[in-house]
Amino acid sequence: MGKHLTYDELRQLILDWLDDHYHFGDAATLVRNDDMSFLDNGVLNSLGFVALIVYLEDLFRITIDRKALSRENFDSMRKIITYVTNHPQYQGVAS
Amino acid sequence: MSEVPFFVPDGEVASRSRMADFQRFCEGRLGRPFSGWLDFHAWSVRDFRVFWRWLLEWAGLDVEGEADPVCVGDECERARFFPGLRLNYAASVLAGAGVGDDHPAVIAEDETGRLERLTFGDLRERVGRVAAGLRGLGIGPGERVVAVARNDERAVIACLAATGLGAAWSSVPPDLGSDAVLARFRPLEPSVLFAHGHSYYQGVRRPLRERLAGLVAALPSLRTIVSLDGDTAAVDGLGLPVTTLAGLASMSLRPGGQEEGGSWRRFPFDHPLFILFSSGTTGLPKCIVHGAGGTLIEHVKEHRLHSDFGPRDTLFFHTSTGWMMWNWQLSALASGTTVVLWDGSATYPEPDQLWRVVSRHRVTVFGTSPAYLQYCRDAGISPRERVDLAALRAVQSTGSILFEPLYDFVRDHVKDVLVQSISGGTDIIGCFVLGHPGLPVWRGESQCVSLGLDVREQRDPAGGPAELVCANPFPSRPVGFFGDPDGSRFHEAYFAKNPGVWTHGDFVRIHPRGSVRILGRSDGVLNVRGIRIGPAEIYAILQDFPEIKNALAVEQEDPRSPGGSRLVLLVVLAPRAVLDRPLTLRIKKALAQRASMNHVPDVVADVPDLPVTHSGKLSERAAREAANGRVPANLAALRNPECIEAIRSHPALARPRPG
Repeated sequence: MGKHLTYDELRQLILDWLDDHYHFGDAATLVRNDDMSFLDNGVLNSLGFVALIVYLEDLFRITIDRKALSRENFDSMRKIITYVTNHPQYQGVAS
Repeated sequence: MSEVPFFVPDGEVASRSRMADFQRFCEGRLGRPFSGWLDFHAWSVRDFRVFWRWLLEWAGLDVEGEADPVCVGDECERARFFPGLRLNYAASVLAGAGVGDDHPAVIAEDETGRLERLTFGDLRERVGRVAAGLRGLGIGPGERVVAVARNDERAVIACLAATGLGAAWSSVPPDLGSDAVLARFRPLEPSVLFAHGHSYYQGVRRPLRERLAGLVAALPSLRTIVSLDGDTAAVDGLGLPVTTLAGLASMSLRPGGQEEGGSWRRFPFDHPLFILFSSGTTGLPKCIVHGAGGTLIEHVKEHRLHSDFGPRDTLFFHTSTGWMMWNWQLSALASGTTVVLWDGSATYPEPDQLWRVVSRHRVTVFGTSPAYLQYCRDAGISPRERVDLAALRAVQSTGSILFEPLYDFVRDHVKDVLVQSISGGTDIIGCFVLGHPGLPVWRGESQCVSLGLDVREQRDPAGGPAELVCANPFPSRPVGFFGDPDGSRFHEAYFAKNPGVWTHGDFVRIHPRGSVRILGRSDGVLNVRGIRIGPAEIYAILQDFPEIKNALAVEQEDPRSPGGSRLVLLVVLAPRAVLDRPLTLRIKKALAQRASMNHVPDVVADVPDLPVTHSGKLSERAAREAANGRVPANLAALRNPECIEAIRSHPALARPRPG
């Protein structure tokens, strides 16, 4: 059983990933609120989304159905966190 | 190694191919049949002078002068091809193997929905007019012209007009960092800058004025700026005359790039045509000068024979103006092939955008990279379920190794077509290994070695993988490096390691059946996510970080990454410096902004020391071995072997596991 992360912990984890790969310290400024579209606001493009999904799959040992890769499920901070924490395989991170 | 071919071309298609036609042509001349591909290839190497002479004749290229001697000299480093021939690259491209004016030449599309279609007639007319305007500005042989250009038809017109007059062309895409652009263009002392005023990427319009202003200020040799898109506000007021492509075209009422009688002036076979750049492990990027004749005849060989391109083909090779594949696909016009250009993100406005372009324009050959195919696979994109790919007959891939699962992805999710992994590069503006319209495809391997090239495995006495070398002269060997009058840098780059033969910097395994597997880089040059990166450009930027005493950038194997590796930056810190998160992000940001996103390391790790040889040289090879968890074969060659264990056991370098 892993350690379930809080919403804020997951949020920070995603911001850190965005900084590491795309925004290099500017991610927190760029993501002004958790409901804004990542695609429409230049936070991530489709290539970036796929890289983030692969990262989340690795980290949480979950498999994300590629048919679920849609704006409805992933195109904002809140949507990503909600999708991951509701995923049936999600058990947090190894503690 | 798989024993069942991935794909076997239809026998009838193979026998109708241009490769088969040329083989029959040679057999007729020789008066004997070849026993098969290996026999044909062996002959093309053994009698390479005859091979190139007959190829020139079979292809019907528009040349003047004497085709003999074909090649003066027997050593690859100094041999000269066709010293008695004269030709014009642009004229040969515009000739399109004799297609008529109505035949489609260029289809250019971008993210904003802009779509331009030029027939060969349009292209001939517009190139001629722009050339007339350029000639009025005094542009001609001996000049270098440079471009910060989006991948559209205007870049094609500018390039053909300038090279048609005998100027040498060099281009970069708008997103290349300012340091990297300057390192490339400054040594060339260019006279004309062609530039778009803005670019689009991922739906965002990015003005280029600030970048262009810096570039113009640093290039005092410039005499004129030509706005490619008419956005003169981007370049007005920079102290130079500004014109536009349309303005150049209107300077003459008739096409005037040509001599009297409508023919273009011919230049010697070795006349400088393209200057490409290759960044290595030290120093500034090498400015590689490619000759007009070598480029043309090599491309015609690769296109018509190995790729079977012809007037019925529509080629879409996804590239930017800064990659040699842009020059390569441009030359496909010389075979009458229609060329599709895409400018912008590969995933905008739709995640499967490139496949939509393939479908919309009924592309017959799609050129891409393992990184893009892996993106599609990871994203669950199944093109065959989304778009009509009826016209598609082949997928070509280059940039990095196309591993087996991506062959399966193409068959299962794209189409059961010929998959051709091609490899060579900037240094030869072409391929050493590539496709063949009649040979089987084996997963993970290129179908064959290029005709006329004596590509061999150079065995490693220590038992390591063999290096790819080319032992005979070939026409697309660069003319030399710009700014290297005695050829010493050129010699050092390709001929110092194995005297007399071209050493390319790749590990290779050639199967007895003739297929070829590239195994990765043998030198310190990195290939990460399919992009070749010279670590020297990273080190140059790190000079501005007083916290960093020393650094090495190496590839670490990563089965989850496109291309199979990730970029690791090993740093030795100055006293009292700490590699905290802010410093790591500052390093990444500087590399992204001043070089490119491709130069940003996936991992930055501080290590107590970097491996150094007894002569005091940093050993990238030893660092790479250690970063991959291995002990370098020759520890005794290191002055500080104890540093290896610190790298191998570094927690940030825990090796990625397979997916």
